[in-house]
Amino acid sequence: MKGAARKPVQILIFLGVLLLGGYAIGKTLFASKDGLPMPGDKPPEFTLSTLDGRTVSLSDYEGKPVVLNFWGSFCPPCVKEMPEFQRQYDKWKSEGLEVLAVNLSEDNLTVRNFVAGKNLTYPILRDVDKETERRYRLRSYPTTFFIRPDGKLEEVYQGGMTEQDIEERVLKLIEES
Amino acid sequence: MFQNTKCECGHQNPAGTVLCEACGRSLDEGGAAEELLEMRYDGAARRSQKSHPSVLDRIWNFFSSVKIAVYMIVITLIGASLGTIYPQENTFLTTQDLGDYYRDTYGLSGEIYYALGLSHTFESWWFVSLLVLIGTSLVVCSLDRVLPLYRALNKQQIRKHESFLLRQRAAYRGDIEGDPEAWTDRFEQAARKRRYKVIRKDGALLAEKHRFSRWGPYINHIGLIVFLLAVLARAVPAWQMDQYVTIPEGDTVRIEDTNYFVKNEKFTVEFYGDEELPAELKGTLRAKLYRTDAVLYECRSGCTAASGQPELVEVARHPIEVNSPLEYDGLKLYQFDFDNKAVLREVKPVVIDKATGETYGPFTLKMRDPETTFEVGPYRLELKQNFMEFAIGEDGNPITKSRDPKAPAFIFMVYGPGLDEKGEPYIYFPMQKDKAAFSQDKLNAAIADRLEIKVNGMENVSFVEYTTFLNVRKDLAMPYIWVGLGISMLGLVMGAYWHHRRIWLRVDGSRATIGAHTNKNWYGMRADLAAALKAAGNETDPKSLDNGGNRT
Repeated sequence: MKGAARKPVQILIFLGVLLLGGYAIGKTLFASKDGLPMPGDKPPEFTLSTLDGRTVSLSDYEGKPVVLNFWGSFCPPCVKEMPEFQRQYDKWKSEGLEVLAVNLSEDNLTVRNFVAGKNLTYPILRDVDKETERRYRLRSYPTTFFIRPDGKLEEVYQGGMTEQDIEERVLKLIEES
Repeated sequence: MFQNTKCECGHQNPAGTVLCEACGRSLDEGGAAEELLEMRYDGAARRSQKSHPSVLDRIWNFFSSVKIAVYMIVITLIGASLGTIYPQENTFLTTQDLGDYYRDTYGLSGEIYYALGLSHTFESWWFVSLLVLIGTSLVVCSLDRVLPLYRALNKQQIRKHESFLLRQRAAYRGDIEGDPEAWTDRFEQAARKRRYKVIRKDGALLAEKHRFSRWGPYINHIGLIVFLLAVLARAVPAWQMDQYVTIPEGDTVRIEDTNYFVKNEKFTVEFYGDEELPAELKGTLRAKLYRTDAVLYECRSGCTAASGQPELVEVARHPIEVNSPLEYDGLKLYQFDFDNKAVLREVKPVVIDKATGETYGPFTLKMRDPETTFEVGPYRLELKQNFMEFAIGEDGNPITKSRDPKAPAFIFMVYGPGLDEKGEPYIYFPMQKDKAAFSQDKLNAAIADRLEIKVNGMENVSFVEYTTFLNVRKDLAMPYIWVGLGISMLGLVMGAYWHHRRIWLRVDGSRATIGAHTNKNWYGMRADLAAALKAAGNETDPKSLDNGGNRT
């Protein structure tokens, strides 16, 4: 390794450092801290069964604006906002809006009793053993994910929402479709 | 700066050379003639030293500097020590409200610590950057030094300049009696006896041993580079996993993001008896043993939450204790913690006909996903509603406050003798405290006089007594880390336990001039030289060979 080989070797080593070092440093800069999916991310995929026995995956809804809501019958703000999601769903269904309501791993009877008589027409998905909620790194209930038609996350909203809160965000999603 | 690098002997040396590559004469004309020579890297120039460096060369030279490497290491050490003041964030299971935690636990200094990001020092951009800089420096420094050193040692001139010999830390000058050739033969024999390799040329001699120890530091560096790369590889998600699973006794839980399920068959905790404890600990609970009898399953089909029952195949089984993890295919499950808050799992109540005093049952009522129809004697019970943590909501309707069976309640529709044909509702609280608190009998009013559902004895109540917490780890980089450390250790041993010793001899007429050099243990070096001189016929006190420098 004399004279002529020296410069290529230097360049090669520096390229290696830039590549590996850049990756290592980049990871420290862009790691999301609390683990909740971030706007712009693709939210984790899931396949869950609905209350009426169908199986749905998040990817089935690609191309449509999706409101993904996590709820439990034990969570009063969740209960309160469910009819509001229903009204928004009725209002914007024709624009392609989809609402997916994932129940927080409660048992069959509880969910059935709860939903009965509430006239919810959007699909109620049944999470099992908290698997999906863990994958989404939920920290509080309710949490609602607004997903753009391109499958990327527009916004994560933690806590109960008024109908107006929901509508604002739904309109944004629809605009983008 | 112009530097004349041409030696008196006619050899043209590269820029930065300290000692002439050919004859060993010092090129540093400023130094006093009596001073000891600087023998680092045998006086060879660092590979990258140039008289007109380009930008690339300047960056290269930055990393090539040992001084800068030492600064970087010192800064890294200081940084790393900052990371040890308070616990790091990754030692907490939940990352919620950590800022509050640091403030509340450590006060203002904790708040500052968190705000500065020192609570995740080892994942911070500046710390990782420092490691990358050190890694680069390791590669560049080694490459820049090992190649010239290799060349310098590989083409050593046998006959050295007299000033080179006399300015070594061990040196000798004396007159030879008799035939110089025979004298040199005897000198060579003595050196060979001490396992020196000897080369003779034109009345000069070089005796050398343990040259390989010079490569020790560079092998050590290669090991460190392998180590750093392995640590870097752990950042690749498929290479590393570190998570926690919570498993109530008897339950089977999926390990997130894997196809594995793990079952906690039984959890055991044993405490030391009072008589086993020293006086100051008497009366305290000291754990002697935590054990989770765990079974690891691999899911073959139906593995998503949607598909109901997954098909599980047992792949491993192990009683997990502290320091005895369950290991399977790179996956390790460690005992981490446990919780002994008892959680109701199921009850076996009976139905009592109050009119006849007859008892029917028992039937099994699970807290989670209970069956909905029970045939008990002449009665039929249909479960209409269940509540995990029963409460009365603001609107007066029953609600559940959580999804854990903390205060379970069940509403049955009961059909049977003495009851309305359309059935009568009955609310049942399995736990005695709830039964009283929510006054079950009052709620049941009408039916309470004719019928009772209750549990007879604790043997009909089953609790999950313990919940175990396992730490699931996977670290595929570990073997490479060990290999790196092994290589590093090999280099350290090579450099630390063997020393490169050289003796140069030059005979001019009847005068012998000798210089000797080693990097460590000069006492041994002088002893070797004195022994050879003695064998040759010039007995000398080893101490007199010391040319100063006051090193051993």
